[in-house]
Amino acid sequence: MSTTALSVTVRIQRFNPDVDKKPYWDEFKVEATQGKTILDALHEIKEEQDGSVTFQRSCRHAICGSCAMNVNGQNMLVCETPLREHVDRKGRITIRPLPYLPIIKDLVVDRTRFWEQYLRVKPWLIPPENIPEKEFRMSEDEVKALHDAEHCIMCGACYSSCQVVALNKSYIGPHALLKAFLRVMDPRDSAPAARLDDLDKGDGVYRCHTIFNCIDACPKKLNPTEAIETLRKLAMKRQAFEDARRERQQQLNEPIGPVPGH
Amino acid sequence: MYRSTGFLSFLLRRVTGVALVLYLLLHIWVIGGINSGADTFNSRMEFLGKPFFRVLEIGLLAAVVYHGIDGIRLLMVHYLNVTEYRKSLLYAALAVSAILVIAGGLPILLFALEG
Repeated sequence: MSTTALSVTVRIQRFNPDVDKKPYWDEFKVEATQGKTILDALHEIKEEQDGSVTFQRSCRHAICGSCAMNVNGQNMLVCETPLREHVDRKGRITIRPLPYLPIIKDLVVDRTRFWEQYLRVKPWLIPPENIPEKEFRMSEDEVKALHDAEHCIMCGACYSSCQVVALNKSYIGPHALLKAFLRVMDPRDSAPAARLDDLDKGDGVYRCHTIFNCIDACPKKLNPTEAIETLRKLAMKRQAFEDARRERQQQLNEPIGPVPGH
Repeated sequence: MYRSTGFLSFLLRRVTGVALVLYLLLHIWVIGGINSGADTFNSRMEFLGKPFFRVLEIGLLAAVVYHGIDGIRLLMVHYLNVTEYRKSLLYAALAVSAILVIAGGLPILLFALEG
């Protein structure tokens, strides 16, 4: 494994709404040593070259979702991305804030609309009336059907890569539709028909144009498009789906078969 | 603008769709000429018989073929859980469209050149 340092030009889109009329580019030189992430490079630039470079980050472990940015045209979490992997042939790396969202300063964007759409789908669980004494019992197949949607960290990479979001501000967006999918598919949730009814509107599941940017942008390798496709099919038979759910919820506290090791 | 193959397909779908609507308007204008008599219809047909419009028919063929095959691709995406193969599907749609447009476009071009 090579440990030699590589000199990289980091191009950062700068914008301070108090003084700038439009965004401009700033260039900084950093050494791309082995193991250095793009976030490390941004920290280095802020600490050693220009303290006014503004960006957002928190956990540095790809779980808080605050450091999603656009690097060389692709949305990603910069805390988990090695700097060397994204250096182009000219020895440069280009960092922009998440596209299609209002810029607060430099690489920090205003996610108000993102969160408003998230709340619109009522992302919380609406439990049935007969809550089991100990725990809900879900089968393995029911968990598999969620397709890991609960792994979403709400980073906004999918939302800001979606051209439909750019063209239609009222579109719910892939992040919230994935969350809605999680709740609709959850056997513990007792209001799938009402949820599907809301998603069936003009700015809901049928607004998606299957551009697939959300899949490519997701740092957790989730598939919002497939979730949206599933919601479309369920929306057409929502009442039957809710009836089946009610029946299923009669056995939510029943054992689901032999538990391994017991 | 967020660049991706998905966005390319999104753009092509819209551009070919708008092209087909414009063609339809032209088509209605020509066929509608028959209401004003044979002379009007014939003069409009003659106007569109120029080599420029004949070559443009290859563009019409391309728009029809791509838009149709892209529709089949989208139906597959909607009903067959094939988002995993999204890029291959787009390339396949482009390749099949290209083959059909070349196969159909060559005779149109030769006919146009003959005059």
